[in-house]
Amino acid sequence: MTEQSIHLTINGVERAAKCEDRTTLLDFVRHDLGLTGTHAGCEHGVCGACTVEVNGQIVRSCLMFACQASGANIKTVEGIARAGELTDLQVAFKKHHALQCGFCTPGFLMAADDLLRKNTSPSELEVREGLSGNLCRCTGYVGIVEAVLEVAVQRRNKIGDARA
Amino acid sequence: MHRPNSIREILDILELHGEDARILAGGQTLVPMMAMRVASPAHLIDLALAHELHQFDVTKGALRVGAGVTQSTLEGWDQLALKQPLLEMMFPWVAHSPIRNRGTVCGSIAHADPSAEMVLALMTLGGSVTLASKKRERTVNAADFFLGALQTSREPNELIVSAEFPMQSAETGFGFAEYGYRHGDFAVVAVAVVRNGKSWTIGFGGVDDTVKVFRIEASSIGEVDEHINKLASTIEVREDPTATSGLRRHLMRTLGARAVNQAFEFKGNYQS
Repeated sequence: MTEQSIHLTINGVERAAKCEDRTTLLDFVRHDLGLTGTHAGCEHGVCGACTVEVNGQIVRSCLMFACQASGANIKTVEGIARAGELTDLQVAFKKHHALQCGFCTPGFLMAADDLLRKNTSPSELEVREGLSGNLCRCTGYVGIVEAVLEVAVQRRNKIGDARA
Repeated sequence: MHRPNSIREILDILELHGEDARILAGGQTLVPMMAMRVASPAHLIDLALAHELHQFDVTKGALRVGAGVTQSTLEGWDQLALKQPLLEMMFPWVAHSPIRNRGTVCGSIAHADPSAEMVLALMTLGGSVTLASKKRERTVNAADFFLGALQTSREPNELIVSAEFPMQSAETGFGFAEYGYRHGDFAVVAVAVVRNGKSWTIGFGGVDDTVKVFRIEASSIGEVDEHINKLASTIEVREDPTATSGLRRHLMRTLGARAVNQAFEFKGNYQS
């Protein structure tokens, strides 16, 4: 078993570490960096709970080896909000009961954030399609979709206000 | 894990360890297989740092896609609808965006799942695969590359360098229809249609161990549908726990009619 030295930026902080070749980015983030917000669900790419952003694109951290992320800029769910504050998406998730057990939530937040960056006024169908790679076994998705649609409107209004 | 910087280095490693090595392109199939211990290669060869493999271009009448090009890179190409509309129609059906962000076009072709959209596109467009080993480079027609479900004519010491999707003539129409149980899941049946005047090429994915392609001459949509109807009744169709052969035959007809209609009415700004 060989080890590699890796160097990456995670949530704006530069980190260097050693890891085994076989370590997934998911395990590396959770066990080596101690960022346990990213959840290990199915561990074979089906559930989306482990979604993180690598160089601006959301990916399954369970389907990528940590050493492949060397040099990359990574954002996990811990990186979306300032300490002690909730983002607009998190507030909306709370308001719309878009989580019950919360296991899938980090993945949904990362996917929803990505979706809203690419499409500022998604239809309900587009939200459902955009989040179709994430599984939630509690909510039935209704609250999640409502939360994302509401944030889309809020963000558009904010831009409108700024321009007014 | 090997992380070579060039094709030459990759081929050296393959020559040495080919039998025990697996190419790691996007890893969206290989890594789940490793997680489930279906695959446990002694050597992984990561293509990420071999920049020459991360390019695509239109050359010699074909869209040539390098082994490292992700599905989302090609999906995001602003010329895709003009140059290769069939792929543009298919991408939303290929898994989910986080998977397409890492999954590669050539990786899907290397995996050779008969339900995969990329395999269906390559077969229906009459494309080819370019393979290289330390000693030689060869280009294989898609029909000769796919030998069966998850089986190809790639030798253990060979790297898939690129896949070539041929451009069609300017008046060509394209159609695509698919049915799967869940959004982003593999197709139970998928149909691709390429129409050039009275010549129709119809590819069926998911019906057998390889994609089945038929070329027919027909002067009306009704005539094409009749052909598909006959094919659906007569060709060998797989039966497995996910779908009976009867369902697959039914889907060949209904999805076939839909894709044929789409190809007939196709009004893209296709540029060959």
